[in-house]
Amino acid sequence: MFAAAKPIPGVLASFIHIDGAVDAIRGLRARGHHDLTVYSASPNHELEEALEHRISPVRLFTLFGGITGVISGLAMTYWMSLDWPLLVGGKPIATVPPYVVFMFELMVLFGALCTVAGVAILSLRKPTTGILYDEHFSDDRIGIFVPCPPDRANDVEALLKQAGSVEVRRAA
Amino acid sequence: MATTAHESTQTHADVTRDVIGTLSAPGKGYYILLASVSTALLIGIITFIILLKDGLGHAGYNPPVMWSVFITTFVFWVGIGHAGTLISAILYLFRSPWRTVVYRATEAMTVFAVMTAALFPIVHIGRQWIFYWLLPYPNARFLWPNFKSPLVWDVFAISTYFTVSTTFLVFGLIPDVAAVRDHVTGWRKKVYGMLALGWKGTDEQWRHYSRAYLYLAALATPLVLSVHSVVSWDFAMGIIPGWHGTIFAPYFVAGAIYSGVGMVLTLLIPLRKALKLEHMITDYHFDNLGKLTLFVGCVLFYAYGMEYFVAWYSGNTFEQTTFWRRAFGPMWWAGWAMIINNAFVSQLLWSKRIRTNLTALFVISIFINIGMWFERYVIIVSSLGNDFDPWAWGVMTPTMYDWGILLGSFGWFGLWFTLFFKHFPIVAIQEVKEMIPMPRRKGAH
Amino acid sequence: MSDQTPDNKLDRRRFLTVVGATGAGAAALSGCTTDRVQKLIPYMVGNEDQIPGIATYYASSCTECAAACGLHVRTREGRAVKLEGNPVHPVNRGTICSRGQAGLQGLYNPDRIAGPMARQADGTFKQIEWTEAITLLVTKLKAAPGRVAVLSGQAPGTFDTLLEGWTRAQQGTLTRWEPFGHEPLRLASQRVFGRDELPLHDFAAAKHIVSFGADFLETWHTPVEQQRGFAQSHGFTQGPTAKTVYVSPRMDLTGMNADAWVRVTPGTEAILALTMANIILSERNRAPADANGLRGMLGGYTAEKAAQQVGVTVDKIRQLAREFASAQPSLAVAGGVGTQHREALELCAAVHLLNYVAGNVGTTVKFGAGVTRGDGYAAIERLFGRFDKGEVAVLLVHDANPLYALPKSGQFAERFAKVGFKVSTAAVMDETAMASDLVLPSLHPLERWDDIRPRAGVLGLMQPVMEPVFAGRHTGDVLLQTGKQLGGTAASVATATDYKTYLQNAWALEAKRRRAADAVQFWRDALQRGGLFDVASPSAPVRLSATAQLTKAVGATFDGDGAYTLIAAPTLTMSDGRGANRPWLLELSDPVTKITWWHWAEVHPETAKELDVREGEILELTTPHGTIKAPVYIYPGIHPGAIAVPLGWGHTAYGRYAQDRGANVLDLLGAQDGNGFLPYQSTKVSARPTGEYRQVGKTEGNNRQLGRGIAEMMPVEAAVKGLSLRQFYEQEGHAEHEVNTEREQGAIEGFRESQLEQRKRGGYAEEHPQWGMTVDLSRCTGCSACVTACYAENNLPTVGEEEIYRGREMTWIRIERFWEGGEREGEPLEARFVPMMCQHCDNAPCEPVCPVYAAYHTVDGLNGQVYNRCVGTRYCGNNCPYKVRYFNWYAYNKKAFPEPLNLQLNPDVTVRGRGVMEKCTMCVHRIRGAQHTAKLEDRALVDGEFTTACAQACPSGAITFGNVKDPASKVVAAARSPRGYHVFEELNVRPAVTYLAKVRHTEGQS
Repeated sequence: MFAAAKPIPGVLASFIHIDGAVDAIRGLRARGHHDLTVYSASPNHELEEALEHRISPVRLFTLFGGITGVISGLAMTYWMSLDWPLLVGGKPIATVPPYVVFMFELMVLFGALCTVAGVAILSLRKPTTGILYDEHFSDDRIGIFVPCPPDRANDVEALLKQAGSVEVRRAA
Repeated sequence: MATTAHESTQTHADVTRDVIGTLSAPGKGYYILLASVSTALLIGIITFIILLKDGLGHAGYNPPVMWSVFITTFVFWVGIGHAGTLISAILYLFRSPWRTVVYRATEAMTVFAVMTAALFPIVHIGRQWIFYWLLPYPNARFLWPNFKSPLVWDVFAISTYFTVSTTFLVFGLIPDVAAVRDHVTGWRKKVYGMLALGWKGTDEQWRHYSRAYLYLAALATPLVLSVHSVVSWDFAMGIIPGWHGTIFAPYFVAGAIYSGVGMVLTLLIPLRKALKLEHMITDYHFDNLGKLTLFVGCVLFYAYGMEYFVAWYSGNTFEQTTFWRRAFGPMWWAGWAMIINNAFVSQLLWSKRIRTNLTALFVISIFINIGMWFERYVIIVSSLGNDFDPWAWGVMTPTMYDWGILLGSFGWFGLWFTLFFKHFPIVAIQEVKEMIPMPRRKGAH
Repeated sequence: MSDQTPDNKLDRRRFLTVVGATGAGAAALSGCTTDRVQKLIPYMVGNEDQIPGIATYYASSCTECAAACGLHVRTREGRAVKLEGNPVHPVNRGTICSRGQAGLQGLYNPDRIAGPMARQADGTFKQIEWTEAITLLVTKLKAAPGRVAVLSGQAPGTFDTLLEGWTRAQQGTLTRWEPFGHEPLRLASQRVFGRDELPLHDFAAAKHIVSFGADFLETWHTPVEQQRGFAQSHGFTQGPTAKTVYVSPRMDLTGMNADAWVRVTPGTEAILALTMANIILSERNRAPADANGLRGMLGGYTAEKAAQQVGVTVDKIRQLAREFASAQPSLAVAGGVGTQHREALELCAAVHLLNYVAGNVGTTVKFGAGVTRGDGYAAIERLFGRFDKGEVAVLLVHDANPLYALPKSGQFAERFAKVGFKVSTAAVMDETAMASDLVLPSLHPLERWDDIRPRAGVLGLMQPVMEPVFAGRHTGDVLLQTGKQLGGTAASVATATDYKTYLQNAWALEAKRRRAADAVQFWRDALQRGGLFDVASPSAPVRLSATAQLTKAVGATFDGDGAYTLIAAPTLTMSDGRGANRPWLLELSDPVTKITWWHWAEVHPETAKELDVREGEILELTTPHGTIKAPVYIYPGIHPGAIAVPLGWGHTAYGRYAQDRGANVLDLLGAQDGNGFLPYQSTKVSARPTGEYRQVGKTEGNNRQLGRGIAEMMPVEAAVKGLSLRQFYEQEGHAEHEVNTEREQGAIEGFRESQLEQRKRGGYAEEHPQWGMTVDLSRCTGCSACVTACYAENNLPTVGEEEIYRGREMTWIRIERFWEGGEREGEPLEARFVPMMCQHCDNAPCEPVCPVYAAYHTVDGLNGQVYNRCVGTRYCGNNCPYKVRYFNWYAYNKKAFPEPLNLQLNPDVTVRGRGVMEKCTMCVHRIRGAQHTAKLEDRALVDGEFTTACAQACPSGAITFGNVKDPASKVVAAARSPRGYHVFEELNVRPAVTYLAKVRHTEGQS
């Protein structure tokens, strides 16, 4: 439904059984197919292990956001208090304790927003446009898309079938 | 990951079907609900317009009671929100299995409750049209807000809370919206498709998504504790006897969660019936919600006891008078309504039979909602009514304008919630599936 | 209007200028109606004594009561904006009471009529032209030679002379009448000393004061002057204060300020007075020789006999007598309206004798000032007798409202109607005007030329301070014009074309009498001064006259057989009812009951139990003369056998504020009385609970202090020893628990120092004055003059009864009245007053909680409130321990000042809009004004060159304001007093207001 770019040639297989999908992934990777796209309706550890993913770098965004928040929280309140010194309740004009509240709130705020931004940025690094997708994947099936030139498609297909794929499609 | 007996009977396909089934074309009952909440909201709006035109005088303010029903209701709604975040974020970190099915509803409740609360500072101030002066924006005279004022803390706490919990809700919705997209047709497909932001559930997406979700939960967790602490400081930072207490932050947080869980029960029990989700949201969940209620109920019980004890032990005549009058003064009825509804009623939940009896649970939850509203009313109004200078003492009685605004707030909250559960999965499809093992060729592992 | 040129040098040099002339300023004002007045600014023609933005002060005299205090009228851009006391005037010495200040609302009263009103055939009134009105009057007068009568309430002065001549010219009769004329006192003076006048009393010199129901702080005689004297003798300086005893069945404001209240059976004060005289005479002999002649007459009055009749123990009576005799000089007074019963004449005579035997006559009781208050009630009875006989064809009523101020039972309205043609000069359609045929609205005293002679040695002048607000006409001019048209002797009386000239001629004679070189200069000086004031008021030695022997007391008789005695109580706010159309006075909570906007019935707690009524329940009060209804106010300060209802309410006309407000207690009183005065306390009353309720709009929350040390008090012995409050309490065995140790104290101070250091930024680092205030509770009488002053100075809106029900009054300064004791029978009941205003705390709790810095601390130590920054979160109001912040729940400013009342607004002070918080500013505009003047004149501020409105008005001088950084300032001196304390000191908010504990004689009370 998104601007369909020129379809990438490859094979799309869907699985009902998790272990079948895992076997398929292992097999494909053994044959040097590392650029797999695996669809699933919910995150699944076995798939992640099979794909040997590293931990997502999104946490760096969170860290950055948090630190920025703390600093700006203190800077804003402190500077604004001194920008126009007004005495209230005999308290010091600029004083940290009450400003901790702002440091904390802005830490959480910036942290959260940066995290979301992080997901967006990171996901865009590997666009999903142009590769085959099946609506069952958001329901109860696992999908594996193997980009490969037509000449290699046959043995990929064989491997997938042998792993228990219930349906195989080709993108030419 | 722990799964429990009742879930294994379902397959992923069932989950998808059941949940998306709740989005089917609404029936007569739904429209009646919609109409009633809209009417309530309309009443609120009319009341507000009158207050805007003539001034706050119409409300029952009676100096020295310069805060009353509006602030009470503000705190009430902020409090409601907390249970949502608690269930969706904290219990997520604790990997508590029973939260999965209910958290979407509670998170939605959070967002709408905070949206409701956020209206009140505006309704309540004397010159509503310049409420934005509380924000630090470069105005003509470069005069910034007073960051020592708890009210400015509020502005930041509430807006942060609103933003983060909204983000959390929307973020959690993405995969589910994608699922909906794949199971509806026509123009709805287009709309949900856009809302799904191109989600396809690829391994790469899941990889970042699940991490981010974890961090969002981690960030939302301290919010639960902080936001109501800040709200409580609106009072604790004041020197008014009955306000100026060190226990206020934990006291209010406990109260917030208590009221929130109460509201969760009030919403879920009928919702479950209406949307035919009996086999998903089961006694097991209500039992656990009941336990949670009981726990925070006990914390409150302790807090109430402590308030009176400290007042007595302080030997401070102002404190003592305030609490004496809270129990036996002109507002004794409110004082006792708060203690009975909150401290005592929750004790019924020791019995599992009551915890799993939905009618009983529903009735109790109503008591809790009323009790918690009164708690704030008592803390605010009765403390202000008899502070330091006896000559200035006064008792306020709410007017129809106070009630109008209160009703309106329920309308506003109700409208959003009603619209939400008809247009978005009220149960987190993706997370439920996560808990149901996928079928295997060679039996169980 | 004027041919005078003002003294410009004065005008420019001094901020406070008292200009000698009628305002060439006012001359620039064209026209009369308010909207035209508003069109005045900017001036087309620059003007000598009107500098826009700078106030011009005119000296004048107050006519709100017969005491005739001196005024300084503050005008801005040609409008009077405030009435202040004339510092050089011997009666009030620069101070002023609430009623006096409210005179301004008489000037700007929205119900004043715009021109002459003539009754039509159908009974309605129609406004007519002045010429037409005068002609009408003249024709009527021409037709009625010898059948003319005049009733005048205006105090003696040149006008009175003219009026007298004018009346004589018609062979008419002139009746002078003051409702509160204190006839009993005057008659008693005549009987005992052969002097037909009211004596003057030197409260300042008295060392012991006994008042037999004379409310000398409220309505009796010359309240402001007496309050000043009372504050001097009863307020604490170093020596013991004058013990004050109040003998009366009702504790009114004066009684509340006494050290002891002797609750006597109604109507028996005279017996007590004679008994005291007897004891003094028999026990010690300081009395003048001729007093011995009284022994026989007094002999019968033994303490034992009196004890039963009066309801006071024998010892108590002896003690009263001995204390009175031993303190020299002492002072006894009597003749208050509240105790004006059938034996009032005997009472006043008895008190004269008491003073005489104690040797006070000539020292604290002085005759010779020739003070009279009209011709008395007897003259009224004579006048109406002539109406009955149809001897009066034309009646002119000037400055009097008999149809309100006389009891209905006297059929006065019906008898009044018998007069053929009735003319009133009322500026507002009051009861009498409504019953008249022609109304010739007179000018308000602030709009006209006049003088007033309240007593020998005091001749006050009045001058127009602004162009008339409404098209009234000076009654003097009316008299002169009619005189001219009438011709004959009448014409010969009209020696001038207009009253101003007439007045100046009279003053030219005065100048000649005083051998003044230049009559014009003489006149001008008098105008600037406010009149002619002789240094000492004349005092004539007096001796007992034979008729003194006639004095006897058996206890007053009362009409009817009701269970209770009815006390028609005069109140400080309403007085004889003149105050009833002044919003300020209606909103001002009554100093005794703290009730606003409505009348009430004071009922003793026991009586309330007996009747089974609660506060607000409406009682139906019935006497042989009538029935009224009044909501109950349960009041411990009244005799269980009595019920008190305030005078002055229940007008049936007199404008929107007064009309139909409450009921008129006079409807319960009898009128026929041979004693020459109207007995206000002369009937028994029966009370029937109706079961209906009407909330009383009182501003009192909880009237007990609960031991919170808000209104502190010290026995006189402790005060004389110079004990501080803490020392006193320790001595009493109430030492503080858990006092901080040295180390703790040090730590606290150290922390404070460090905080102060961190405050030194921007303007706060520089040197500035720090403004502070002290309130001496031993001087404060709770009279509330400061409250009205604040309303006038700071444009406080009156919110009305409905809002006061919800505690929303806007009194920046309020008088809190706390009760002590009186809970058990026999335990003395004590009232304590605390003026409570913003304390301008150093560590103000209201400031840090404001999200927008609307409440902040100014560099000179004030607690600033920026109205147009305020968004109205009201957090400051919640967090203020003194509860002195007031919120504009509605747009009060829109409805509190109907035209032309809006002209009273002080241009120096913002009129607050809806939705903002407001509070006492310590008259910051006055501070800045003074600072600017000082800067312009390139000099430092002088302590006391200006002060706040409340301090300026206070007749007792209880409030001191100044710079606490200036060690020489009066405020610092006052604050050093060992009696000094801060309210709620334990909160460490460090208030800038220091209260000085009240000082009382606590020994031997009953």
